[in-house]
Amino acid sequence: MRLSEVNVEEIKMELANLKNKKSSQLSLVWKRFKSNRLALLGFVFVMIIIFIAIFAPFLTPYKPYATDPSNRLMGPSRTHLLGTDSLGRDVLTRLFYGSRIALQIGVLIILFEGFIGIMMGVLSGFFGGVIDSIIMRLVDILRSFPVIILAMAIAGIMGQGIYNVVIALGIVGWTTYARMVRSKILSIKEADYIEAGYSIGESTYSIITRYIVPNAIPTAIVMISIMMPTALIASATLSFLGLGVQPPTPSWGSMVAAGRNYLLQAPWISTSAGFFIMFTVLGFNFIGDGLRDALDPTTKH
Amino acid sequence: MSNRKKYWTNKIIRTIITAIGVTLIAFLILHLTPGDPARIMLGSYASEENLEAVREKYNLNEPLYIQYWAWISSLAKGDLGTSIRYNRSVNTLIKDRIGPTLVLTLTGLIISVVLGVVMGILAALKRNSWLDYLTTVQAIFWISIPSFWLGILFLYIFGLQLRWVPIAGMVSYTSVILPALSLGLRQEAWFARPMRAEMLEVLNQEYIRAAKAKGLKYYIVVTKHALRNALIPIITMLALRLPWIIGGSVVIEVVFSWGGIGSLLVNSVKARDYPVVQAILLLISIAVVLANLFADIIYTWVDPRIRTEG
Repeated sequence: MRLSEVNVEEIKMELANLKNKKSSQLSLVWKRFKSNRLALLGFVFVMIIIFIAIFAPFLTPYKPYATDPSNRLMGPSRTHLLGTDSLGRDVLTRLFYGSRIALQIGVLIILFEGFIGIMMGVLSGFFGGVIDSIIMRLVDILRSFPVIILAMAIAGIMGQGIYNVVIALGIVGWTTYARMVRSKILSIKEADYIEAGYSIGESTYSIITRYIVPNAIPTAIVMISIMMPTALIASATLSFLGLGVQPPTPSWGSMVAAGRNYLLQAPWISTSAGFFIMFTVLGFNFIGDGLRDALDPTTKH
Repeated sequence: MSNRKKYWTNKIIRTIITAIGVTLIAFLILHLTPGDPARIMLGSYASEENLEAVREKYNLNEPLYIQYWAWISSLAKGDLGTSIRYNRSVNTLIKDRIGPTLVLTLTGLIISVVLGVVMGILAALKRNSWLDYLTTVQAIFWISIPSFWLGILFLYIFGLQLRWVPIAGMVSYTSVILPALSLGLRQEAWFARPMRAEMLEVLNQEYIRAAKAKGLKYYIVVTKHALRNALIPIITMLALRLPWIIGGSVVIEVVFSWGGIGSLLVNSVKARDYPVVQAILLLISIAVVLANLFADIIYTWVDPRIRTEG
């Protein structure tokens, strides 16, 4: 009897140590992230776009929908830094307001597909068996379609608009989360500390909330940084094709499409709109790359 | 049953389930919204007679499972249906446009694989050099550029300003260069980084050190021993990236007015010509399902170490 009590104490100590180790691990991760110059640069890029999105009305004297027929397709000048479009609207102003649309769609897609995907991944990984088979076959089926093609068809049927873009892309997008969460949970389930937790009589609920969820968080962070660029580019592509956010709403994708008709007279419209997409996506990709290295230093170096 | 047999039976059953699921999704997509499919296809100004004619022609008055069965049975006979907009068989529409799409997709694929593999190998051989660093950075750079914008930049620079290549359509052999580059450069990143990682791992293996210790020339060690093994995972990567390459080619076709399946698909989605949309969705996804199966077969064939269990 005495011996087993000692064992329980020991295991509890071990688990407490594990927790302490976790927090020091986090600071280590942060240190590694900070020392990665590209990751910091990405952080700055994303902060700039968030700043522009929040303070757009204060950064420009123009309104995104204000047309000015006498100033159509004007080149970049002191009054219009990036010129005007075919309706005389200030391009830079529309790009600034476009950051609101892009970030809004990006965040909504991440929330929508992340929620479904993580739920499905947890169900699949934790319960296994028939549930796992059904969910994984569904994942296989959906992943047989190129994301953009299925999204095009869905957006085409449901009609355009921000929420339909989110649904169209999320219907395929959740499968990536589900797969990653599932494999993470399978590996955590095998870990010694889970067995240790059961052995000292912790409930399934507390095992999930105290050990599985905290250990899956780094994976979730990496996932978001991987999925954000995909969400941004895919939604911009839908808008470019005329199946996403509709004009006059200033979305970057539809601005690239609109500028394409005036490529010779007004190349600044398409080029600058695409530049904003690239700048934002690059920011998230740099962050994602830095995070991946920081959380798993074995893959590089 | 032997493990190998079990593995392949499992694999084939899964492939069949996936294929059936894919036909269901392509079929059900039209019924995603609660509205009348005939009205969705013809628009809100269609007359009642026209609506009824379309409902009759596409069995829309029947219950869903009968519609599905009718669709599947004609598919089994090789009949993909009739386009509403062109009033022609979908088979001929696709047959007319598959050539340009294959040319574009394959050229893009070759560009991405060759560039990616070469950069990955060089980066691994010259580890931590400026070349290695450049490979990583350029990979992030390419995946951050939307391919439609890259296409437009190429059109502007090489088509409109420098006039090196034709700006739209398929008029000469040089026409394919810009669209294939716009398609391939973005995908190249997905081959460069796994290739580098794989090569680094292989170069660290016992048998490579043994080969070197034996006194074999470095380039022979690299090409004959390391490269052969490092290339194997690229096969899986190819199958994994195939949907993305096909998806990318759709957008590129629109940018370059390339008269292939992609343009047909986008126009059909916009015109709500759903028989065409369903047929293209189905063909593309079945191609992806088969590509995955083939990749698995080739993979186990070239690499007998793969355990065929589970």
